[in-house]
Amino acid sequence: MKDSVKEKSIAQDSRLLLEKARADGVETVWDRFAAQLPNCGYCEMGLSCRICVMGPCRIDPFGEGPQRGVCGADADIIVARNLGRMIAAGAASHSDHGRDLVETLAEVAEGRAEGYGIADEAKLRSFAGEYGIDTNDKDALAVAAELAEALQEDYGTRKKALTLLARAPEKRREIWKKLGIAPRGIDRETSEMMHRTHMGVDNDWQSILLHAMRNALSDGWGGSLIASEVSDILCGTPTPTPTTANAGVLKKDQVNIVVHGHNPVVSEMILLACQSPEMIALAREKGADGINLAGVCCTGNELQMRHGIPMAGNHLSTELVLTTGAVEMMIVDYQCIMPSLGQVAACYHTKMISTSDKARFPGMEHREFHPDNARKIAGELVREAVENFSRRGEVYLPVAPVTATTGFSVEAVVQALGGTPEPLLDAIKKGAIRGAAGVVGCNNPRIKQDHGHVTLMRRLIENDILVVDTGCAAVASAKAGFKTAEAAAMAGDGLKAVCQALKIPPVLHMGSCVDNVRILTLASALANALGTDISDLPIAGAAPEWYSEKAAAIGLYFVASGVYTVLGPMPPITGSANVARLLTQGLNDAVGATFAVEPDPEKAALLIRRHIEDKRRNLGLDAKAV
Amino acid sequence: MKKVVVNPQRCVGCMQCMIACATAHSRTQSLFTAALETPTPKPRVHVGAGLCGDGFPNRCRHCDPAPCMLACLPGAIHRDPELDTVRIDPDRCINCASCAMACPFGVIRYHVDPLGPPGKTVAVKCDNCVDRRREGRIPACVEVCKSGALTFEEMGAAMKRQTDAVARSVASEVEGKPAIPAGVALHRALRRASWEMNQERKENSHEG
Amino acid sequence: MALDYVIIGNGVAGIQAAETIRRLDRTGHITLIGDETHLPYCRPMISMALEGTIDFPALTIRGPDFYEANAITPILGERVAAIDVDGRAVIIGGGRRVPFHRLLIATGADPRPVAAAGLDLNNIHYMRSQDHVRRMLASIDGARRATVLGGGLVGFKAACGLLRRGVGVSLLIGSGHPLSMQVDDEAGAMLLAELRRRGLDVRVGAAVAGFEGENGRVRSAALKDGGRVDCDLVVIGKGVRPALDFVPRDRIPVDLGILVDARMETGAPGIYAAGDVAEAEDIARRTRWVNAIWPEAVEQGRVAGMNMAGRQVAYPGSLSRNVIRVFDMDAMTAGVVTPDDDGLYEVIRERDAGGRLYRKLVFREDRLVGFTLINRIEQGGVMTALIRSRLPIRVSRRRLLAPDFNWSLLLP
Repeated sequence: MKDSVKEKSIAQDSRLLLEKARADGVETVWDRFAAQLPNCGYCEMGLSCRICVMGPCRIDPFGEGPQRGVCGADADIIVARNLGRMIAAGAASHSDHGRDLVETLAEVAEGRAEGYGIADEAKLRSFAGEYGIDTNDKDALAVAAELAEALQEDYGTRKKALTLLARAPEKRREIWKKLGIAPRGIDRETSEMMHRTHMGVDNDWQSILLHAMRNALSDGWGGSLIASEVSDILCGTPTPTPTTANAGVLKKDQVNIVVHGHNPVVSEMILLACQSPEMIALAREKGADGINLAGVCCTGNELQMRHGIPMAGNHLSTELVLTTGAVEMMIVDYQCIMPSLGQVAACYHTKMISTSDKARFPGMEHREFHPDNARKIAGELVREAVENFSRRGEVYLPVAPVTATTGFSVEAVVQALGGTPEPLLDAIKKGAIRGAAGVVGCNNPRIKQDHGHVTLMRRLIENDILVVDTGCAAVASAKAGFKTAEAAAMAGDGLKAVCQALKIPPVLHMGSCVDNVRILTLASALANALGTDISDLPIAGAAPEWYSEKAAAIGLYFVASGVYTVLGPMPPITGSANVARLLTQGLNDAVGATFAVEPDPEKAALLIRRHIEDKRRNLGLDAKAV
Repeated sequence: MKKVVVNPQRCVGCMQCMIACATAHSRTQSLFTAALETPTPKPRVHVGAGLCGDGFPNRCRHCDPAPCMLACLPGAIHRDPELDTVRIDPDRCINCASCAMACPFGVIRYHVDPLGPPGKTVAVKCDNCVDRRREGRIPACVEVCKSGALTFEEMGAAMKRQTDAVARSVASEVEGKPAIPAGVALHRALRRASWEMNQERKENSHEG
Repeated sequence: MALDYVIIGNGVAGIQAAETIRRLDRTGHITLIGDETHLPYCRPMISMALEGTIDFPALTIRGPDFYEANAITPILGERVAAIDVDGRAVIIGGGRRVPFHRLLIATGADPRPVAAAGLDLNNIHYMRSQDHVRRMLASIDGARRATVLGGGLVGFKAACGLLRRGVGVSLLIGSGHPLSMQVDDEAGAMLLAELRRRGLDVRVGAAVAGFEGENGRVRSAALKDGGRVDCDLVVIGKGVRPALDFVPRDRIPVDLGILVDARMETGAPGIYAAGDVAEAEDIARRTRWVNAIWPEAVEQGRVAGMNMAGRQVAYPGSLSRNVIRVFDMDAMTAGVVTPDDDGLYEVIRERDAGGRLYRKLVFREDRLVGFTLINRIEQGGVMTALIRSRLPIRVSRRRLLAPDFNWSLLLP
């Protein structure tokens, strides 16, 4: 009764599993998307306001019906307020994720987190150095304790500016200062956004949008950056590692456990438990050939980057991997976990476990993880998963996995370049590599799954643009086979030669969605090396299939940091021509970068290539006409 | 006589008309209580998704001659001359769905109606809000529509308005105001672009 | 000069024609000859009187003042014996001549008889008129077990009606599933399963050799395969055939039904035919066809009436279509349902995992020519309109199949 599965995804595993889901009578995200059509135009255009109960209000986009809400807010104000709250929610999500890691770091320092430790002491010490902590003659745990304390201060409201802004180029910091958008405290900016958008506070749409940038920067140079760095300290800084991707990573003859969500705190302990000889022996006893841990979504990215754990799928695949019937247990933490998963799992033998005190789901058993009990609960859960193996019904694994190399942290990229970013800069200066693009973000049922990511990346590498990716985009490119050294053959001659010389893929996996800050860190390093600003670099960002508030926050901190960013789906701003114009044109004068919106990745590739060549021209490098 | 006029280019797909219609055809006449009624009141206008997901308020056209009326076996469908409205008598209706096969617009539904005989499944469709009209009120779907997709006016006036709009769109640079505002046009263009991109023929697949 | 209009048949085609003529011609004389003496009633609903969901008066579709209000002279309880084409007169009982300027033959159809022994036993019925149903109801008391012959619409509805009356029913079907003329094998299998789930004893591939009884009342049916089915009530529903014994085939061309052109006129000028007796061009099949269904009788009667009264109106052609609700299952079909495998047609179909929904669309070139819907039938009228309009289908065929199909998909 449905549209062809070919219109839903370009990934063969998704297509076949979606057919299976339909045959099994399992409702998926695509069914629910179709049921929602037509989408409400007021909401899509950002013209509905539910902020207070004098309303709810909506503005007629045709100009004849109501043009102001009950309070008097016009389309510009309503659109800006809605967008502001979207950014606040996104920033809050990343930043709260970061806070959980800081708390874990504090408990490690206090010796109350069995199983966890300091995995990258060098990073601990250098990061503490950024916070002005004297690390000489102190043991790691003492440094960790002081660092955790200092990081918590960044969340507070007592500082004039976030510590890590210092990583940004001097020129960039000047721009922020001039515009008054340098973030002060991570929680403060989100809190202030909620205040400003309360009825009767900030009613200048430009002022709201400026604060939205400050709020986004509090994520990109605050919450997300802390999340990424502390994850490295606790779990290890990623290095290039072989791995595999797509639903075929599940194993017919092994106990399959899938972790889903964003925060590595839970999944690291699950990994430890899966590796314990006792559990492996138990699995054998139950007739399984071992325990296979796989990830989906960004928890999957965290494990894949650091340990080469296989990746079963991205956002739109999270329901489908359950329809294989091969998953004994799915363990979730938080963010992007569809509340439908429990219902899907109920059609199979899969046990669903929620682990976070702040994220509960229907049809899941709640087993709350805290740093002090994580090791113990992880062991119990893996045992239950192994015991669930015998309840397995028919298993359908339609495809073979694709190989990939992952783990390109900034440190790893520099390492691959021989210890300094100079070779990359030289390749860019010479024009062998035209520039670099970060392709990031989610899946969205509005866009055929992975079509946006894969098409855009293919066109970029063909045209000698080095791609770095994170999140669901990174899973898409892994499934498409872009993350192998052999994939260099798909690149243009210049990029191909560089990749072959360095033995790296043309698409470098930089991690989960909080790891987008690695891209900012790398861009800052390049800008600093050139003595210029991020906005002068021949680089761009893209979120071809984004869906979430977090992605909106990432997009805005990219732009506010000087990175031209092309979005696939349109954010809910078309109701205000002023807001749309500011975001796509006006910001250039303010922060040296703008958004563009282009659902078609072929055209998005042209926009990015044109932008990169323009930037090259301005830097006095050779430039091509696009 | 004033009639409900559908201006499809104005529909934003918010489905407010469906909610207002269901409320207007409930026993309690207020959204909050209507939603708690058994049987649940149901809308008689149906916002379906068009090709690119655009909305369209699909509503009985009260055709003359009306195919549903000709097809009705028990003679339960008649034309009420007072409001030039094709109406279904729920007492005579036998729920045979002959009208479903006849209606070229697909606007008839079959369910127990709060205003019909208790427990009896009958054919239900737009009655032009005949009860509201007798109270001097306009149809509920029109009252709630803020984007002008549903209007209540003389057909002649509506025709003239639409002709004027076409004329304006042709001479928009002279008149200064386009028939479709730029934001709406952008919004729709992007929607169409995503839809086209997702078509099966636009293929950039990696197998396996 | 006032015209004499004669209409043979007081079924729905006849009365639609009479009303249409009266609207267009205030002065002409209209004579309506019918063999049934009841007020005009709805034939497809007689099965509802059988099952007891409505009573007989509710079958009436025109009031007692119908003939008088439309200035129609009724001659009821008469079957026409002959037509004198050259003498412009209809001959009824006793050789009485009814002269006409314009004649409409709307005599409908009669049940198709079966060849079987013992048909003279009591409690063996056809089901075509409300009198048939009245007789069935008169014999239903004390009946414990009924046998219904034929899985077409009549047999099907008779079986369901008796079942609802609490009578055990064996439905004997020659083909592999009920409604084999209306639905394909897959939908037929769904209907069969639903009937059996509801307690109907359905026997497929069964044919009756004869009936046996005692004291003049039927007691069992003997099957051709040697089997036997006990019963004390029999309904024969093996389809209908056009009622045209009186039509002079040398003057009025007849195939299966009376051949009519686009104005419903027969080969004899001034003589028209409409309804179950007429054979017109079929829109979907693109050939002449007798579509003996209510909505066609209504429309053909109207078109014939307009043309008889002098308003030239073209009939777009007929289209077979049916909708039936079987307990909790709805089935709607139209046009070409099971096309020949001759490469002319393209078929797409979908079913849901739960086995509730089934949809099949039949295309010829770029036009929709048929469909079958099991459940979710509300949009069937849009599809019927697409077939009748003969417009090329521009929207993707998968979208037509999808459960969210709705009229707005047809907007440019």
